[in-house]
Amino acid sequence: MIQFVNVTKTYPNAHAPSLNGINLSIGRGEFVFVVGPSGAGKSTLMKLLYREELPSSGKVLLDGKDISRLRDGDVPYLRRQLGVIFQDFKLLPERTVFENVAFALECTDVSRREILRRVPASLELVGLRHKTHSRASELSGGEQQRVAVARAIVRNPVLVVADEPTGNLDPENSWAIMKLLTDINKMGATVVVATHAKNIVNDLKKRVIAIERGKVARDEERGTYGYES
Amino acid sequence: MNPRAWVTAIRDALRSMTRSSLMSLASIATVAVSLMVLAAVLLLALNLDFMAASVESEVEVKAYLCAVEDTDATCNQQELTENQKKLIVEDVRKISGVKEVTFVSRDEALKQLSEEFGEQKDILEGLDGENPLRDSLEIQALDVQQVPAIAEAVSKMTGVSDVNYGQDYVNTLMAFTRAIRFGGVGLVLMLIVATVLTISNTIRLSVYARRREIGIMKLVGATDWYIRRPFMMEGILLGVFGALVAMGLTGYGYSKVVVYLNQKIPFWPVVRPEQVLMNQTLGLVVLGAVLGAVGSLISLRRFLKV
Repeated sequence: MIQFVNVTKTYPNAHAPSLNGINLSIGRGEFVFVVGPSGAGKSTLMKLLYREELPSSGKVLLDGKDISRLRDGDVPYLRRQLGVIFQDFKLLPERTVFENVAFALECTDVSRREILRRVPASLELVGLRHKTHSRASELSGGEQQRVAVARAIVRNPVLVVADEPTGNLDPENSWAIMKLLTDINKMGATVVVATHAKNIVNDLKKRVIAIERGKVARDEERGTYGYES
Repeated sequence: MNPRAWVTAIRDALRSMTRSSLMSLASIATVAVSLMVLAAVLLLALNLDFMAASVESEVEVKAYLCAVEDTDATCNQQELTENQKKLIVEDVRKISGVKEVTFVSRDEALKQLSEEFGEQKDILEGLDGENPLRDSLEIQALDVQQVPAIAEAVSKMTGVSDVNYGQDYVNTLMAFTRAIRFGGVGLVLMLIVATVLTISNTIRLSVYARRREIGIMKLVGATDWYIRRPFMMEGILLGVFGALVAMGLTGYGYSKVVVYLNQKIPFWPVVRPEQVLMNQTLGLVVLGAVLGAVGSLISLRRFLKV
């Protein structure tokens, strides 16, 4: 489903590439952890997936299509097939939980009736149905991230990309979020998670791809975190 | 495009306008001032045109007959006899293109004048019963084209001291109208540039205030146009509100001026407010909307790289 072919990414004004000749293949329905020290290039890898960044050279294929060659006007349609989750949640604090999730549907011209059907279902899944009308800013960090997960999955994406989704959460909430991500995976979505959550990676025994200094250092089925902290 | 999206865009635009209310007011005021000047120039030009037209449509030549005081060559400082006056009328009738000739005695002329002054007729009391007017002929031409030739012929006749016809006024008025138009257009163009820039600046601030939201919209797959829509709408609303303020003030002011003119100078031809204000309001609202849209697009092109 996802293929990185010889991908190199050098940011302007950087002396070394963030990613250097990455070759990767991730199949449909896989659950993959991307680990590695800070600054190793994990975030860059994630950004290439949802086309926040373009590779300096090489190809990023999604279902066989090179998304780095997508016209700007087609980028929104690519992103509608994805669900993206961030460390800092990226919610609209002044809006309600419902509005935050509905937002992802509204800006893609989904009908009101469809929104009223899908948003509650999505909130149910993350266990926040009872917070539907609370403002996002009134929620705890763990709850906010669950809203972000609900927003990511409300469109039934084929691919969910999570960039350090538990970086701001305590262990308990981290587990809850990871549990949700594995549930989403079981329902059929491909999930790619960049993380520093050692214990969770070790416990879940999923495929682990380690990135170090811009290169793939390890790629193991049922792998472990492999770093000290 | 579905209507709900527009409702959302309008709601977002209004929300953003109330959030930066001072900036929005500044924009609306700038739009209002620019469009008010435009409206004033238009009204002035319209009135000058209207005056020109009402003078021009009088296919009438006015010939003033000699009086004792007149010293020009065709007059001999003598009062014309009734017979001479009749002869002049006969001669004028024979000129080709003349449709009708009416003799207006100086007494009748004074009476007409006092009627035209209406409530202000006491002005005439200052004359102390003297009549400064002349006997005159009102000559109707068959066709407005012939008026200059008739005037020329009549002016050469013995016993006629002076000839007047609309074209003189019309020419002066036209020159005046051109000057007003020219100056007005220049002024309005400058104001329009200022308007567009102010709106564009306001929109830039509101893009800045919502940059986080815009970022999230992009990440969840909103198209550029979906993101631009509320900002465009905000620009358009600023323009429309400005236009409405401008037309409210201009309409009120113009109505007052017309009432005043009607009282003070009753025979002055003015365009009645109800004839123009509707169309002008419509025109200015559309113009305001266009200026707003242009202003916001300038901003969005520069500050909303998507």
